[in-house]
Amino acid sequence: MTTPRLIAAALVLSITGLSTAVAQQDPNYSSLMTFFVTSEPIGDGGNLGGLAGADAHCQRLAANVGAGQRTWRAYLSTQDRPGRPAVNARDRIGTGPWHNVRGELIARDVAHLHGDTLEQARLGNNVTKLSALTEKGQIVPGLGDFPSPRSRDWDYVRTTPYSNRHEILTGSQPDGTAYPPDTDYTCDNWTSNADPEDGSAPRQYGGEGRPNAQIGFTDRMGGSNGSWNSSHGTRGCSQHALVLTHGIGQLYCFAIN
Amino acid sequence: MIRTIWLSVATAVLGGAVSQAVYAQGRPDAPITFFVTSEPIGDGGNLGGLAGADAHCQNLAAAVGEGGRTWRAYLSTQARPGQPAINARDRIGEGPWYSSVNRIDRPLIKSEIHGDTLLEAQRGSNMFKIYTLTEKGEIINGIGDPLPLQHDMLTGSQADGTAFPPDVDRTCNNWTSNAEGAAQVGHSDRVGHGNTSWNSAHATDGCSQDDLASWGGAGMFYCFAVD
Repeated sequence: MTTPRLIAAALVLSITGLSTAVAQQDPNYSSLMTFFVTSEPIGDGGNLGGLAGADAHCQRLAANVGAGQRTWRAYLSTQDRPGRPAVNARDRIGTGPWHNVRGELIARDVAHLHGDTLEQARLGNNVTKLSALTEKGQIVPGLGDFPSPRSRDWDYVRTTPYSNRHEILTGSQPDGTAYPPDTDYTCDNWTSNADPEDGSAPRQYGGEGRPNAQIGFTDRMGGSNGSWNSSHGTRGCSQHALVLTHGIGQLYCFAIN
Repeated sequence: MIRTIWLSVATAVLGGAVSQAVYAQGRPDAPITFFVTSEPIGDGGNLGGLAGADAHCQNLAAAVGEGGRTWRAYLSTQARPGQPAINARDRIGEGPWYSSVNRIDRPLIKSEIHGDTLLEAQRGSNMFKIYTLTEKGEIINGIGDPLPLQHDMLTGSQADGTAFPPDVDRTCNNWTSNAEGAAQVGHSDRVGHGNTSWNSAHATDGCSQDDLASWGGAGMFYCFAVD
């Protein structure tokens, strides 16, 4: 008599997606996790302390939920500088497959993740609002969630965890490679929290003297394309500037082993 | 405490607590040239062929005052003896198209929604859940929303908008079967089956109304205005 009721409860949970909560309470799930979105930003805009600082952030958050035995990498590119060749995000993250904290497949391999062939790209990977979970199993609030006139204000957003924050820093092109060095797409290789000196001209991203980071969307909505890893740039590299287009500086983290 | 907050967030987010009004704000006058049928024909994969499906689009459009355009269902048919295949993408005009909330600068572009170039395919289009609305402006129940799940959209098409080869049924016998066969569907919310395809996520098993429902659809489809 109890069993059908339990099964029914499990079904309801899995259908509504509320098994997110179950995953949070089951430490065994975390040990199988090989992909997550950081539950929190580093907090200094586009200054992540370089790739090393970003990787350490992934590693620390993973360790917090019992997944520190893996080697974690932030999905970020850096651009070519004298004596320092470009680094492509796609080359940093191992070979996959990657699963979220609920065990859902995100992508089978690097080619599937990026859509290396036309057919793969048209179908897409499995980064969605419901699968791009944090290491704690949280959904990242996205477009349309709890709209507020203050949703572009960091002072509001930092204390309002359910407001839209769907933009994830990547600094990458859609195929997962770095941009050419001429225009900043990486907040100076993740060391800058500066904003454009001329004030933020609306809808003008990047360009000469314009610190900027390329972002993608966890909920696959926005920027006229919904790209998970390369939709558009930010208005600047300060924490306040990231929030102007609905990001807080969160990162994708992938385990390479 | 934190967990409690996040749980309530998750519940509300999953509950589809999305205000449509926010997207319509400041939208300049753009024609409505794209919608999802608010109701199915109701006989599973038997739509009365392409003609029946087109008439359904036209009737629903007319009911909301948009009957002045020529509407086409986004459906392919497969080759049969004496009947060449028809590609959904070739039936719908050239666009750009707008739902009732797409801003004038956020249209559906034909090459983008089909990913004609690798870059377009990798980046994506404006085919978002918040735009795949019915002719009445309603959002379609997707994964995580209240049941019944209705995100399966009949297309019978490959991801590039073309028909499948004739050997395996993907069109419920060219939209005349309500029993045997299969229909290729896309997802209006672009969630499910391990991909984000709006037009070619997976095939159903069976063509009855109940078969379609068991996969997460109701036999609804996309309608585009050709003019």
